[in-house]
Formats: sequence, structure tokens, C-alpha cells
Amino acid sequence: MSFLESIKSALSSIAANKMRSLLTMLGIIIGISAVITITTLGSSLTATIQNAFSTLGANYFDVYLNEEWIYDESTNSYYPDPNSSLEDHLITMDMLDELNERYPDCFYNCSTNGIGGGSLLNTEKDTVNVHIAGVFDGFVPYEDFDILAGRNITLRDNAECKYSALVSNIFVKQYFTRGEEPIGQTISVTLDSGSAAEFTIVGVYDYSELYKRYAMGDQREEDMTTHLLIPYTAANEISHVSERGFSYVEFTCNSKKDASALNEDLRAFFEEQYEKYPSINVEIYSSVEDFDIAITVINIVTIVISIIAAISLLVGGVGVMNIMLVSVTERTREIGIRKALGAKRRNIRLQFVIEAIVICLIGGIIGILIGILNGELVGFIAKQVIASNEDYSMLFSAVKVVPSLTAIIISVLFSTLTGIFFGLYPANKAAKMNPIDALRYD
Amino acid sequence: MSNFIIDMRDIYKRYFIGQPNELQILNRISFQVKQGEFVAIVGPSGSGKSTLMNIIGALDKPTEGTYLLNGTDIGKLSDKELSNIRNKEIGFVFQTFNLIPRSNALKNVELPMMYAGVSKHERTARAKELLKLVGMEDRMTHQPNELSGGQKQRVAIARAMANNPSIILADEPTGALDSKTGHLVMDIFHKLHKEEGKTIVLITHSPELAAETERTISIYDGSIISDTANPSLNAAPTAEAEQTDGEVNA
Repeated sequence: MSFLESIKSALSSIAANKMRSLLTMLGIIIGISAVITITTLGSSLTATIQNAFSTLGANYFDVYLNEEWIYDESTNSYYPDPNSSLEDHLITMDMLDELNERYPDCFYNCSTNGIGGGSLLNTEKDTVNVHIAGVFDGFVPYEDFDILAGRNITLRDNAECKYSALVSNIFVKQYFTRGEEPIGQTISVTLDSGSAAEFTIVGVYDYSELYKRYAMGDQREEDMTTHLLIPYTAANEISHVSERGFSYVEFTCNSKKDASALNEDLRAFFEEQYEKYPSINVEIYSSVEDFDIAITVINIVTIVISIIAAISLLVGGVGVMNIMLVSVTERTREIGIRKALGAKRRNIRLQFVIEAIVICLIGGIIGILIGILNGELVGFIAKQVIASNEDYSMLFSAVKVVPSLTAIIISVLFSTLTGIFFGLYPANKAAKMNPIDALRYD
Repeated sequence: MSNFIIDMRDIYKRYFIGQPNELQILNRISFQVKQGEFVAIVGPSGSGKSTLMNIIGALDKPTEGTYLLNGTDIGKLSDKELSNIRNKEIGFVFQTFNLIPRSNALKNVELPMMYAGVSKHERTARAKELLKLVGMEDRMTHQPNELSGGQKQRVAIARAMANNPSIILADEPTGALDSKTGHLVMDIFHKLHKEEGKTIVLITHSPELAAETERTISIYDGSIISDTANPSLNAAPTAEAEQTDGEVNA
């Protein structure tokens, strides 16, 4: 008896007892749909959080160089390694160029060589505070800021060490209270260090609603401190930082790429660069790691709840076994006839095991469909809730419902295995029947 | 070596061996059936004829003695080999038809060929041919519960013929049918015997049916009490005279 015929025969016997088959499947349906619902929610949550992270422009990496000092027993003191001092081996532009060459389209370089804050007085004699950041040309796309007027800080600004500044639209409102045209204006900023510097405004960027909410909470617009972006060379000059390179560089990545993989790439690249200098450690801080922790927690919770849900599959499996035993007893005579006609034990066993598998598989498939539907439903409700709450709707701009393919495949396999496991005992019982007794059975 | 299809020598069948209630059902049964014979085994209820039938049909093994079926010693076969013998050498026809429910006539006839591994195309062709032979070509796609008793038995006979077995083993094939339908069924056996040259063993408690065959073996209390050739006669004259479809549901 071929496989296909066994399946056909199983289907017809299931169809002959529709109600009973459905009730038997119910255990499997509930078990599988519970597992699929939970895994769908888990993977949807992951996707939604991922989405939220990338909307916040959070795919960034901070690379720091750290110097380990050498301990000298004789003087009982630490001192920097003279052969590989950090000062001499900073991250250079050449390295950054090489990085971009090796991973084209992956990283945007940007540095915010900080000189801290600064303040200026506007025409109303009110103080306007700013963060001053020295940047490469990549900072604006990195933060997903749009240029509203003028231009970005360019490589040329950096090369020529121009005192150009890119200010936020918030700053424009705070400083130019009379609605003057900001581009081309020169501003004099008192730095935290006490000195002052003058910058020419070359452009205005959009301090997005999203970033505002994320960074400032409920602060009033007038009180906000936004970034004043200047060329890093100018920042270096102001803060008297060495021009040979950076001990700290920020990167952002193309959001289409896998941030975890890029994190690894970045680490590998810089570790290779500093292999020769054991006293210099490369440290990378990345939002990817925060994200990974969040995802790991979600995954663990999903797995644990799925396992609990899978216990109901066990109950379903026992139901299948029970009904298969009933079916074997009911069909004792049929088994006897089949044996008299020459069916071998394995023919009979296969027939009943396949019947159990078919019951479990049908149940499994129905369960998967219900599970996906449940996921969509919860996703829909979540969207409604989020849409009604302004604070959340900024962060979670999109709720993604993603049925977990792995869970679906595992569910199909698991239902098949349930069928085999719980079908085998009844099938063996059928296969071992004595044909004479079976034929005599009424 | 022998040209016997069935060669039984000193067959005993006992149950509960070694216990106080040990039961001896068959007591030194010996007989031979030649190729192409039509034999009836008669005996009252409890005489052991069902047990004998089970042994002939390779559903059971004798406790003692040798049974050669077409030269093969049945007593020495494994469970799997017995399945093969039942599949290829024996065609069962039962009193209660024993068609597989929820399988149409064609599927029922195909079943033994399916177990024998005959290809789908081949077995469908053969099953159709056999159903035609028993006059059931119009009802090939009918389910068993849509057939009358006589029709069911004709399908069962077609199924028994499926793998062209050495023996057709019929256990009270007319027992659940009215006499007219019973005769129609008997006609098919006569036809198979005469036209196809089948060896047929008919188990019955009815002396009238036994008389239609070539030879009657009577058993009583587990032993053969007579084994006689029947006078040649025209088989089932009544049924041939009025061959209609007027059958009664069993």
C-alpha cells in the first residue's frame, strides 16, 4: 500500500467521523495556535522595537580608544607605555578612509569632538544655551536631520578649518526673535571654558519632533539646548586638541544593513588596527547592544511561554492516541479482513500511523492559521492603543506583525511528530492483532 | 513433487495446551486436494470446520502435522510469509462478505493487489475485468452499503480472484443470502471452476450445497468421517432457469 493511498484512506476515515475528528484535533489546534500566537507576538514585538530603534536614529556606534597604563613596581606607579602611547596612535583620517573603502555604503563617519556647551545672548538679552559639537560632514544624515536652509558642514569647512556653524530651527527661534534671516549671520558664543568664539551660520537643520520628544521630554521650546554643529577641525583648534586624530569617533550605519553584523565589522576593523599596540584598547559602545539585550529578553520570554503552551500539545496528543485506540477497536474487523487479504503488519501500522499524522497535521495547520490570525488581531488592537496615546505613537511609529516562520515550520514538524508518537502505540496494537480473532470480532 | 494444491497430513489443532482445560479441535486430519478440484467440507457447528478453514487459509498454524500448500510447508513460515501466502495463494470468500466499508467495489477488488505491490494502472484494469466476470461492471463505484447481499458477495468473489490465487476458500458464501441469490453466487463458483479451472474449497453446513461440488469431505468432532466423490450433476439448475436481478438485501 503506497504512501499516497494511505493518506487518501486516512482522509476518508477522518471524513467519515467528522465531528469526532474535529474534537480530537481540537487539542492540537489549541496547542499549536497558542504557540504560534505567542511566537508571532514575540517576533512582532522584536520587529516593532527594531523599527522604533532605527526611527530614533539609534543605529550608532561610539568607538573609544582607552590606554592601559603600565605598572612599575620599583616606583609603585603607573605610567603610559612609551612605545605605544595613545597620543601617538589616535584614530586617523586614513583609518577612516580605509574603513569606508572596506565597507562601502555601511558607515557614516561623524565625530562630535566635544567642547561642551556654550551660551549667547540674543537681542532680548536672554541667554540661549547650545551644545557645541565638532563634526565631520556626516553628522546630519546620521541623525536623520533635514537641512531646512543653507547647507551642511562640508569636508571643505573641515579642511580649511572654517568657523562655520549649522544651527537648529529651534535655535533660530530662540536667537533671532525678530525673524531675521539666520544664514550668513555671525554669532559670538561664550564657551564653558570662558573663552569666546565667533561662528558664521551656514545652515539650519530641522530639530525633528521625534528627536525633541526623545531627548527633551516635556521641556519648553524656549528652554531647549540644541546642537551647534561646527567643523571638527575648528573644534580641535578651540579646545587645543591634537590634530593628529581622534580618541573617540562616532559612526552611524546604513539602516538597511544588519547593525549587529556592522558592530562586529567595526570591532574587527579597529582591533586589527590596534593589534600592534596591546596597551591601547578599543571600546565600542552601540545602541545595538541595548537592542540586543531587549531582544534577548523578549526571545527568552517567548520561548518559555511557548514551552508552556506546548504542554497543551501533549494533552492534544493524548487525545489523538485515545481516539486512535477507539478507532482501532472499532475497525478490528476491517483489520482482520485486511490481514486475510494479505496485509502485512507494517501495512496496518503505516495505515494507522498515517491516520494519526494526518489528524495532527490538519489540526496543526488549522492551529497555525488561527495563531497567525490571533497575532494580527493583537497587532491591530496594539495599533489602536498606540495611535490613541501620543507619547507612544512617536516612539512606535509602526507596529509590525510578523508571524515567525521558524515557529510555523517547527509546529508542522511537531504536529507530525505528535502524530507519530501518539499514533504508534494504537497502530502497533492494530498491527499485532491476530487475524482470526479480528475477523470474528463484531 | 506432488501435484496437490492442498496436502494435509496428520493435522492436529489443540488449544490451552498443557492446561486442565486443553481442547483438541482437530484430530488427525489428512486429505489432499488436486489442482482444479471443487471440494466441499461439511460438518455441523462445532465440528472444527472453521478451525480447519483457518489452517487451510494460512490464518492459523496446526499444532501438529504438516500442511503443504502448493508445496510450501505452512507450519514453518513467519508471520510476514504467511501474509504473503494469504495474499497470493488464497482467495477468501466469507459468509458476511467482509468488504472494506467506505471503499467502493473497485477499491475493494484492488486491495489484495495493492498489498501485492501491483501498479495502480495494472490493478485497476484487472479489477475492472474481474468485476465484469462476476457481472458487477455497472456498480464498480458503489460503496458496499449501496449494494445488496448478493452483489456484495459477487464483489467479494472478484476480490478473492484478484491475485489469481491457487485456492478460492469460501466459508458459507451463501449463508447470509436467500436461496435464489445463493444459487446465483454458487453459479459464479461453478463458472470459475469450469471456465477458469480454479481450485475451490467450499465450507458449508448444507448438504445440498455440498452436493453441487465434485467431492464432499465430512467432518465431525474434529475428524474426517467421510470423503466421497459426488455424482456428476448439472450445477444449480434452478438459478440458471430464472437468472434475473431479483435479489434481496441481506
